[in-house]
Amino acid sequence: MKKFLALLLAALLVFSCVSALAEGEKIVLKIYAQYADDDTKIPYDYAVEKLAEAYPNVELELIVQAQDDGATLLSLAAGGQLPDIYQTGSGIFATLRQSNQMMVLNDVAERTGFAAKVYDTCKEFLYSDDGNIYAFPYAGHEYVLLYVNKALFEQYNLEIPTTFDELKACAEVFNANGIVPMALFAQEGWNAAAVYDIVATRYNAGGIKALDNGTASITDEAYVKAAEVVADLAQAGVFQTGATSTNYDQASEMFLSGKAAMFVNGQWYIPDAEKALGENAIWIPYPSYSEEAFEASKTAFCGSGSVSGYAVNPDSPNAELAAEVAAFISEKYCEAKIVLRSSPLVALDVGMTNDELPVMMQDLVATIPTMTSTTAFTWGLTNPTFTEAIGTWSQALISGEYSAQEVIDEIAAVME
Amino acid sequence: MKRYLSNRWAIIAFIAPALILFGVFVFYPLLQVFFYSFTEWDGVNPAVFTGLANYRKLFDYSAFKVANLNGLKFGAVITVYQIVLATIFAIAVSDKRIHCRKFFRTAYFIPVVLSVTVVCQLWVSIMEPTNGLINAIARALGINWQQNWLGKRYEAIYAIAFVNAWQWMGYQFALLVAGMKSIGEEYYEAAEIDGATALKSHWYITLPLLKDTYNFCLLVSVTGGIKAFTEMQIMTGGGPGTATYTLTYIMYRQAFVSHKYGYGLSAAAILVLECLVVIMILNWLFKDRETPLLKRRSLKGGELA
Repeated sequence: MKKFLALLLAALLVFSCVSALAEGEKIVLKIYAQYADDDTKIPYDYAVEKLAEAYPNVELELIVQAQDDGATLLSLAAGGQLPDIYQTGSGIFATLRQSNQMMVLNDVAERTGFAAKVYDTCKEFLYSDDGNIYAFPYAGHEYVLLYVNKALFEQYNLEIPTTFDELKACAEVFNANGIVPMALFAQEGWNAAAVYDIVATRYNAGGIKALDNGTASITDEAYVKAAEVVADLAQAGVFQTGATSTNYDQASEMFLSGKAAMFVNGQWYIPDAEKALGENAIWIPYPSYSEEAFEASKTAFCGSGSVSGYAVNPDSPNAELAAEVAAFISEKYCEAKIVLRSSPLVALDVGMTNDELPVMMQDLVATIPTMTSTTAFTWGLTNPTFTEAIGTWSQALISGEYSAQEVIDEIAAVME
Repeated sequence: MKRYLSNRWAIIAFIAPALILFGVFVFYPLLQVFFYSFTEWDGVNPAVFTGLANYRKLFDYSAFKVANLNGLKFGAVITVYQIVLATIFAIAVSDKRIHCRKFFRTAYFIPVVLSVTVVCQLWVSIMEPTNGLINAIARALGINWQQNWLGKRYEAIYAIAFVNAWQWMGYQFALLVAGMKSIGEEYYEAAEIDGATALKSHWYITLPLLKDTYNFCLLVSVTGGIKAFTEMQIMTGGGPGTATYTLTYIMYRQAFVSHKYGYGLSAAAILVLECLVVIMILNWLFKDRETPLLKRRSLKGGELA
């Protein structure tokens, strides 16, 4: 009887295994990815759709990325529970690398042809400082743009400002007419830091990136002057009252509804700006401290890309497959960005173009070859202490409640 | 019952589950907070012992002083607002002469059941300097009084504290109403016969007999001030600058933004100690002493004797 039961159980086991294989059982990979707005949802959905065609046996289980400076990812890493594939920025690269929770992807990048497709100008986003590949990037160079509602300037007979003094003069007119000169969403540290970066790059093209990598100090004359200028602009009413407690939706609404003449955001905002304001929406070179300086520094841009993208958990039971899928998804993101989001600023040459780019994007693409320097967004900075400090204290400058010297002293103290 | 109480195994068996849960989920993590506060730790890789370095750095950090002052200001605002108003409202709705008492009881409690995020966003809109309701009303009335409630370095903390006070007043109110219901009617009847006014009845009966409830209310509001976080995170992001930082906010920024968990935990350790000190002080202040009522009773007793 026992033998019969044992045989029956064994037969059942074999039968279930065979039937599972016959059905082609799917491998489920957990993926931690951004999925918040059109700019992140559309590329992800497109990549999943293409993945189903190329890897019919693979299914992705999405864990939506939290906007928490990598805290969730670090918690998962601390508990040894990282998903198979995860999206990460440069801020926590060092920590995850040190804990051996990032797979070295050099072989996969070569085997899949991913490395060969990366634009030369974006190679720096692929390789980490030790020469290895830890993540498959898809975002190329990104830029901080100063958006302008041209119609408002024309309505009040104002020239587009090229110097800080002209900017202040425009602000006076706009404020007198109930228009916000420059809408910021400085509740978000990166937006405040971008404003400081814009001004700082007029004095030192390295901007906040030079402070992050230690090639410049916040006490250098260029950065002290930049702090003084931002504080001065705040006092002159260039930024809206309460800018530091304004969120993105509120600031964007001001600009898109014609209540604000200028707006600071990344180039990804181009479709939204053009959709709402049409040809009245333009981006302009950042103003500087003099006409000469304006001409000399108009090719120094703020923002850029960083070592980031889809990384793979080396402890995943399907690590090799996950690495291939990560490379595939990053490539498909690039396709979606170009075709579906009208954004050609991607890291890979995927052999696709979009002939219907928005005018502002066309201008930007035409300007890129003339750029002489770029800096970084705060999420592309590598020193978390500096990242925290520059966001906090740029916000303080914009509030107009702190003096430039106070801010410089605070950042210097933190960096010590 | 006596048999159970004299059986120490039965006592242990009944206490053990709660004690184990408390030990695992409260006491052990608390010990870890103190342990890691003496280390340099990124939350993932092994911690390195650095002695008092984190504490030295924390005490030198300008925002540490700001955070402690903000804790005091926040605690003071919510304590005064919540306890004073909750007492007045609780006395009012306990008075049978007041109409619609049920409606008021519910109305005062509604903000408590709302999400903190919703409440904060609501008040951000109301306090918004350009199109916010308060400034709009002032403009409509022709009053030149436009305020930047959340953008001012020294005033923003009060605006945020008010939002917390507004939302959680209903909680204190519910505690006090429940406490008042437990006071026997005979005390008030006796006071009325003695010719005491309503105010005197509440002063000599309600307030002394609610001593323990007030102790708890004070604990909640004062420690709530010291460990405030959510409102500043949503309404100001700690800004402008570090103007609305609290110790909890320092802990959050250092641990989750700067990825310095050891440093962040040193702020958490100070926070725990401050809360403990406050609890000890309040418990000492509310220690059983002779209340006016008891004093009178004992006096009367003495006279009778």
